[in-house]
Amino acid sequence: MTISVQGIGWLTKDAYGCIVRKERSIYDGGPGPDSLRDQLFPRPVKNFGRFDRLSRMACSGVALALRDAGFEDPQKRDIGLIGTSREGSLRTDLDYFRDYIKGGRTLSRGNLFIYTLPSSPLGEAAIQFGLLGPLFYVADRGHSLAPLLDLAAEMIENREASFMIAGTAGEEEALFLVMGTEGTGRTDDLCSFPVAQAIVQSAPEVTGIIQKFSFVSSRKGFA
Amino acid sequence: MKPVIVAHDMVTSYGLGVDTCWRGVTDNRTAIGQVTRFRTEAFQSGCAGIVQGLQYNGDGSLVLQMLRMLFRDAGTAIPADARLLLASTKGEIDLLERFVLEGRGDPEDSTLDRLLTKVEDLCGARGGGMVMSAACTSSSAAAARAASLIKNGRADAVLVVACDSVTEFIFSGFSSLMALDRAPARPFDRSRAGLSVGEAAAYALVMSEERARREGMPVLGEIAGWGLSDDANHMTGPSRESEGLILALKKALASAGVGREQIGFISAHGTGTVYNDAMEMRAFREVFPGAAVPAYSIKGGIGHTMGAAGLVEMIMALRALREGIVPPTVNLTTPDDDAAGWVSDRLRPVSTGMHALVTNAGFSGINSAIVLA
Repeated sequence: MTISVQGIGWLTKDAYGCIVRKERSIYDGGPGPDSLRDQLFPRPVKNFGRFDRLSRMACSGVALALRDAGFEDPQKRDIGLIGTSREGSLRTDLDYFRDYIKGGRTLSRGNLFIYTLPSSPLGEAAIQFGLLGPLFYVADRGHSLAPLLDLAAEMIENREASFMIAGTAGEEEALFLVMGTEGTGRTDDLCSFPVAQAIVQSAPEVTGIIQKFSFVSSRKGFA
Repeated sequence: MKPVIVAHDMVTSYGLGVDTCWRGVTDNRTAIGQVTRFRTEAFQSGCAGIVQGLQYNGDGSLVLQMLRMLFRDAGTAIPADARLLLASTKGEIDLLERFVLEGRGDPEDSTLDRLLTKVEDLCGARGGGMVMSAACTSSSAAAARAASLIKNGRADAVLVVACDSVTEFIFSGFSSLMALDRAPARPFDRSRAGLSVGEAAAYALVMSEERARREGMPVLGEIAGWGLSDDANHMTGPSRESEGLILALKKALASAGVGREQIGFISAHGTGTVYNDAMEMRAFREVFPGAAVPAYSIKGGIGHTMGAAGLVEMIMALRALREGIVPPTVNLTTPDDDAAGWVSDRLRPVSTGMHALVTNAGFSGINSAIVLA
């Protein structure tokens, strides 16, 4: 079984885009991803304004990745999602507990508490895009993407899901890759898993990874 | 490569040790009691499964104190080349509480990354570590990953460590979601009214059968298969149609290469909330139509231990397989209609050669099912 990357979505503080489609856009509603609101999503996201920052970044990154891989129709699918984050849940932990203390240690808010789980941003993306496969947050000490790509490839080989999305989301950047068995996706494969792994290992920052994958895409001559 | 468990231990509100927990559960005794480490008048409940002898705001976090107990008494040396998977939802969150309340310490100290380093130092596993967090399926997801690494020949020893504790942060959060029962939890009972939070720490050393044989390690059981899924429905409430757990169950059976008739019993997530227990029973009835399969939950005994639940419950299920006994569901008085014939307040026999199924579910609609042999 050969595993390939079939779509990549990305956001930085200045722009966002898709690699296979060679799309790059500047935020037109103000600086940063908050201005995207829910324009990336196939159907309106009711609670987008109440999502914590990482959930918005994760949902936006997954939306772009799925679009890039040709999965734009809203239906539930056996696609798994694993993610990491340098920031983790520290900000939401502080937000929740400070709010609780401010309320006199008598009133705690469930809508803040739920985002203190590291897996919650991924959970919001799964709900929004109908992802029925495995879902978990995973991090090595460096919060690198490479172990996630390894895990995702292994899970596809194990047939734990038909496709896997692996990525990272932070306060200002997000990058998510859709992976599957070569030739089974809705778009042409961008590159093989070993090539993707080499790129991710050679470029520690999201912007560097985006540049290298963009170069691969340009060489493939996608329309 | 067959992934087998060669060593395990735990500390729960019953006390230290697998034997201690097994005795508590099979005696049908609850260890859930009144919380005294912080004030609970403002919350839905005042009870939880608390590990005795820990110091809140003491020398190290609550989870670190539990982990020290575990690894100090580890009779089996952890191989230095073992990979480490640390499963938790909130780790050392009491350190963040101290920072906010007293200005003490650095809030970064509460992150799971920092805990990973501490656990590596405590247990001596230096083969590379990762944190895994998947709400209340964290440690079952970690066990599945350990088994996968071994099955695929990518490792021959993986240590899974799981922990979570009862702090004001956690307790207030579950109370805000209206999830707690005022009384100790009563999984699958007709009068159940919510969960009881609990704390625990546990580890399981998973090896390839070949390495276990070579090193003369006892084989306590096998992780035969697994299935992970998401409901993609709601952040806190399980899907009413149970399709997520049904998918996980079917994947687990297929992964293990076993049929339904080879499952001797189910260790259910069984939190005691109206919705979770109903969702599980719907899934069990769908996947096991016809005759009821003996099922139980230990959360009436030790509470819902969150990130540690999966691993603690897997270890208990392995013990049940070895003893040939299905434990009772602690605090069960009258089973709900959909659970009648499946759960019991008594011990029941299980035939040799059967497999066990361990299910868990968590926020974000995550589901896990593990098949043990």
